[in-house]
Amino acid sequence: METTIFYIISAIILVFSVLTVTTTKILRAAVYLLFTLVATAAFYFMMEYNFLAAVQLTVYAGGIVVLIIFSILLTHQINLDLKKINSIKKITSGLVSLFGFILIGNIIYTHTFKATSSVIADTSVNEIGRTLLNYGDGGYILPFEVISVLLLAAMIGAIIIAKKK
Amino acid sequence: MDITNFLIMKQELLLTLITLFILVSEIFVSDKRRIIPIAIVLFGIHTLFGFLYNSYGSIFGGMYQNSELVNLMKNILNLGVFIVLLQSSTWLLKEENENKISEFFILTFSTLIGMNFMISSGDFLMFYLGLELATIPMAALVAYNTYDKKSSESGLKLIMSAAFSSAVMLFGISLIYGQFGTLYFSELLSADMTSPLLILAFLMFISGLSFKISLVPFHFWTADVYEGAPTNVTSYLSVISKGAAVFIFNILLFTVFRNIVDVWSDVLYVLAILTMTIGNLFAIRQTNIKRFLAFSSVAQAGFILLGLLGTNELGMATVIYFILIYIFSNLAAFGVVSSIENNSGKLNIEDYNGLYHTNPNMSLLMMLSLFSLAGIPPLAGFFGKFFLFTAAAQNGYYWLIFIAVINATISLYYYLIVVKAMFINKNDSPIEKISNNWYMKTSYIICLIGLIVIGFYSDIFEYINQISIGI
Amino acid sequence: MHSEGLILFFLAGIVMVGMGVLLSSLLSPKKQNDVKEEAFECGIPTEGPSWLQFKVGYYLFAILFLIFDVETVFIFPWATVMKEMGMVAFIEILIFFVILGLGLIYAWKKDALKWE
Repeated sequence: METTIFYIISAIILVFSVLTVTTTKILRAAVYLLFTLVATAAFYFMMEYNFLAAVQLTVYAGGIVVLIIFSILLTHQINLDLKKINSIKKITSGLVSLFGFILIGNIIYTHTFKATSSVIADTSVNEIGRTLLNYGDGGYILPFEVISVLLLAAMIGAIIIAKKK
Repeated sequence: MDITNFLIMKQELLLTLITLFILVSEIFVSDKRRIIPIAIVLFGIHTLFGFLYNSYGSIFGGMYQNSELVNLMKNILNLGVFIVLLQSSTWLLKEENENKISEFFILTFSTLIGMNFMISSGDFLMFYLGLELATIPMAALVAYNTYDKKSSESGLKLIMSAAFSSAVMLFGISLIYGQFGTLYFSELLSADMTSPLLILAFLMFISGLSFKISLVPFHFWTADVYEGAPTNVTSYLSVISKGAAVFIFNILLFTVFRNIVDVWSDVLYVLAILTMTIGNLFAIRQTNIKRFLAFSSVAQAGFILLGLLGTNELGMATVIYFILIYIFSNLAAFGVVSSIENNSGKLNIEDYNGLYHTNPNMSLLMMLSLFSLAGIPPLAGFFGKFFLFTAAAQNGYYWLIFIAVINATISLYYYLIVVKAMFINKNDSPIEKISNNWYMKTSYIICLIGLIVIGFYSDIFEYINQISIGI
Repeated sequence: MHSEGLILFFLAGIVMVGMGVLLSSLLSPKKQNDVKEEAFECGIPTEGPSWLQFKVGYYLFAILFLIFDVETVFIFPWATVMKEMGMVAFIEILIFFVILGLGLIYAWKKDALKWE
């Protein structure tokens, strides 16, 4: 049963990812991207990574797609269709992608992954919080604090670019 | 955890404090122009502190590590950033930038914090975070001239290509994690790295990092971004950003990936030939001085790979030594270019005709820096290149060195075109005499000393070579 | 995973939405003409595209929202273990807050939060 759901979700992700890059209307691409991101969240729920799934929904589906749509609406040419790509380019890029897919797929498929003996990681919010704030071995306090600097710099950069004064 | 442990990461801590201090002064100081000297002096103190009170080790469970070599890399970057800051004062004091003076410092320091964390990282997570911190504010810096469409365009180009390269790199990292279940460098050292999957992961990783160093064929963003960005940001991008990427590349190849040295030396062999040759061939055709320097910096990156092909401590030391020299040479050239652009707005090589008659000092400095980039003795650049070639010769890459020597000769040709323009070509309306402020003059003097002294003062190379052995 | 519940949920969703669309299209009377097909706008015939360019202010608000959205993501795990970890956690989050708080003050000072 889980396998079936897995394939359904994968199909949704694949279909909408392809639609995202093939549609000629840019706003539609953003909406298709939204579906892809929501379906990815479904994956996380399936693996019971509830926190990550919630993050995926709030930040990606809720935040980033809104931002993308806003930035599309900022431009002049929202209603224009994107240029159709000529067929030679389509064929060559298709072949390159196919080659890459076969290569990577083949290597991953033939690799024998070692099964880990350790217990499945605890992904409850409590445990994430504990690891995030731990400063000893296996703790993530340093990235946690560096992220605040990253967010600050991103915020200042965005304000500088957007404010034309 | 002992409080003295924080001394290990004092560079990052101090820099963060300086950044926050400038942010606070931006909020409370009304005359923003006063922030320029404050920021430069604070950063100068920070640069000096980099050489003092050092302690080494790893903290946060091995996520952050500092050694004498890593600290030296940070000091080299600090020195370069200090020169960039001195050179950017003219541009920042222009009228159109009056509302965003301190932001330049905040964003620059943020990227530098990112680079420091990247070089000091002990696992791929910190590495990636540092890389992003070094890239995202950089896009804002490139798009800094909001009144200039080209600047915005290059900001977009940078962020797009950076996002793409990060995605490829992350895929590589995820494949590494999938195989070994760890991201820590120290644990990966003992991992069995023979599977094809690992080589695939490594290739993806190396392509991602090659974007940052702009190796051919991952260089396509370089010229456009360098041309569109404000000149001082271009110099920062081409020297500091590239230097930091080369440093971490250096460290990773010699630690985490040292077991697959056969694989990566083959890859670097091809990349080196492509990068040198294509960088050079495109540099000849350029008429815009910034695009010209962009392709010249692509070609220089190809020479750097020669040092890495030494595949031992000596190779590592030559690369660090070369970056040190490259910082002085390139920053001297970019300093002159930015000074001319800010005073006359001229950016074409033709405009440099007859520069010697009006600005003899700047022309001489430009000539010295170009000669150093070309590797003409007795300037520092010659020693840098010579050592790189020696490192590659150790492993018997004679054909590669032969190609590199041909490329060095070609590069001499196009560097001489600029020198000829400045000294020999006649011009009815040459660029007028430019009077630089003392920030700019200081930066010129530092570059000049660096260009001449580093080549002769052999202790520097001895020192680098000695501390590279431990890694 | 309780798959029966999930299937039931999916089916119920499909039936409820699908039946609504299907029934209304079957039962509703259909009389179409050109005037009815047009978009209604105060009775005046519409002209030009319906898209209009947004102000840049929307973008600024969206990106500031996003940054603080990400901040919330990191605060949430902290909140669940705050009591347990005590002072250390408090200091750690304080640093986080101060750095981002300065960013907020900066945005305020730069009039990025002002609607012009």
